Amino acid sequence: MVFPTLQFVLFFALVLGLNAAASRRLAWRNAVLIAASYVFYAAWDVRFLALIMFVTAIAWAAGLAQNDPRWARAAKIGAIVVMLGVLAACKYFNFFFVSLQQLLGDSVLSRDLAWLRIVLPVGISFYVFQAISYVMDVSRGEAAARRNPGDVALYISFFPQLVAGPIVRAADFLPQIDRVIRPDAAMRAGAVVLILSGLFKKMVVANYLSVLLVDPVFGFPEMQNAAGALLGVVGYAVQIYCDFSGYSDIAIGVALLLGFRFRRNFNQPYRATSLRDFWRRWHISLSSWIRDYLYIPLGGNRGGAVRRTAVTLTTMTLAGLWHGAGWTFILWGALHGLGIAVERRLALLQFRRPALVAGAVVFAFVTLLWIPFRAGSIQTTLEVLAAFTRSQGISPVPLPVSVLVLLALGLAMNWLPVGWRDRVEVRLSGWPPMAQAGVLATGTAIMFATAQEGVAPFIYFQF
Amino acid sequence: MQENRVFNATLWASLFIMWLVSGEAFLDWAFTMPDIGRLDDALLGLVAGAENAKAALGLPDMFQALQAAIHAATGLG
Repeated sequence: MVFPTLQFVLFFALVLGLNAAASRRLAWRNAVLIAASYVFYAAWDVRFLALIMFVTAIAWAAGLAQNDPRWARAAKIGAIVVMLGVLAACKYFNFFFVSLQQLLGDSVLSRDLAWLRIVLPVGISFYVFQAISYVMDVSRGEAAARRNPGDVALYISFFPQLVAGPIVRAADFLPQIDRVIRPDAAMRAGAVVLILSGLFKKMVVANYLSVLLVDPVFGFPEMQNAAGALLGVVGYAVQIYCDFSGYSDIAIGVALLLGFRFRRNFNQPYRATSLRDFWRRWHISLSSWIRDYLYIPLGGNRGGAVRRTAVTLTTMTLAGLWHGAGWTFILWGALHGLGIAVERRLALLQFRRPALVAGAVVFAFVTLLWIPFRAGSIQTTLEVLAAFTRSQGISPVPLPVSVLVLLALGLAMNWLPVGWRDRVEVRLSGWPPMAQAGVLATGTAIMFATAQEGVAPFIYFQF
Repeated sequence: MQENRVFNATLWASLFIMWLVSGEAFLDWAFTMPDIGRLDDALLGLVAGAENAKAALGLPDMFQALQAAIHAATGLG
């Protein structure tokens, strides 16, 4: 079940009603949300429920063990190893198996062992990271261990952010399940703006750019010339931003209507003036998770330049691997790490650039690195890069003007004055609830009518 | 509390109106749902019955008209 579908609209309408009815008692409200979250997840594949329940049980038990100094450390390490093991088995087994097959060639591994292939459970990267966050936050004393397994179940499975984030921290989420917060006018207004902007980004900008511009370029790179490749690559930069930040907006908006507040997950990433700035603006919940639970424990900014570079490269390569089990994702992460290391070196040499130039360089670098991310193979990556050297070939120009407008709009979202959304929310929060709901319903209908038939899945679902 | 009730009720009413003026979109969706066993036939029967009742009212498919107008105006679709 994905957000921009009639199926989800009906599901959410039902959950909204049940949530409101159960809000008289905290235990009922939480039970309704756990049941709804499990139904939401089971709609993908009912077998996945066993996995999320297993991860929840491990996190809950490890959290409780943090109260006993004799077991705390072993339980923490054991739980993290098991949870990462689950992630590795489900997400990376096929990748390592195929890589080993290719390496060893005609050997025992090259026999048909397709039965070993494991189906990737949707959203596993997100909820395993949330489960680790629970164990770590409890271990650090930033959140209290929960005796009630339902609390941990709700934290890990809460459906708005279950399958594609944002990755919510236990310390942020758990206090919110201890009391019922009924959305006020400001929360409803924020939800309306977020849901509609998310639907527009995903259903209109991302989906049309994908079908009309990006897919043809990456599908047939050998036929493109430089202009076509450039448009396709910039188109993908806009598509992935609108796709993922659109999903995050809808998730945060849906959570608001249920009385939960999440932090912002994107902050105009393409206006970043350095790579470190980019990672403070892009998928903020993942960047901060990686910083707090990986980069800093590995050594962070401590030690000399060589050690810091090694830690940065390791962290970013692992971040790349988190995104997908493939060499192109590893390459993408490693090159981002290399870029950050070079940037740090240049800063030490007091190399200064005007903000406009710095922003343009970062945008070009990030956009160029989306090529392996989208291409899916090193060969396609090289073919797209080769297209930049060709003057002959088909170019997607002339595109429908509306596609160019969507491209410009997607880019402009990164440079619009940051306060516009706040102003709209403030104005909308003064409206009566019937008018707020009317705006949400009418806007949703218009987005559905504007969208193409059929729904392209969110890019980040595969992660 | 009261405001949230009004907000939710308005959303449900909007959904009902959407169903009334959206042709067979809901019916199409019902047939694409995963099979949920014995409940499936009952649910499909319910949806089909409601759709028949709606068809008897002879309401226009305004959603499709809106879709066509937007696609024609923007060149998308």
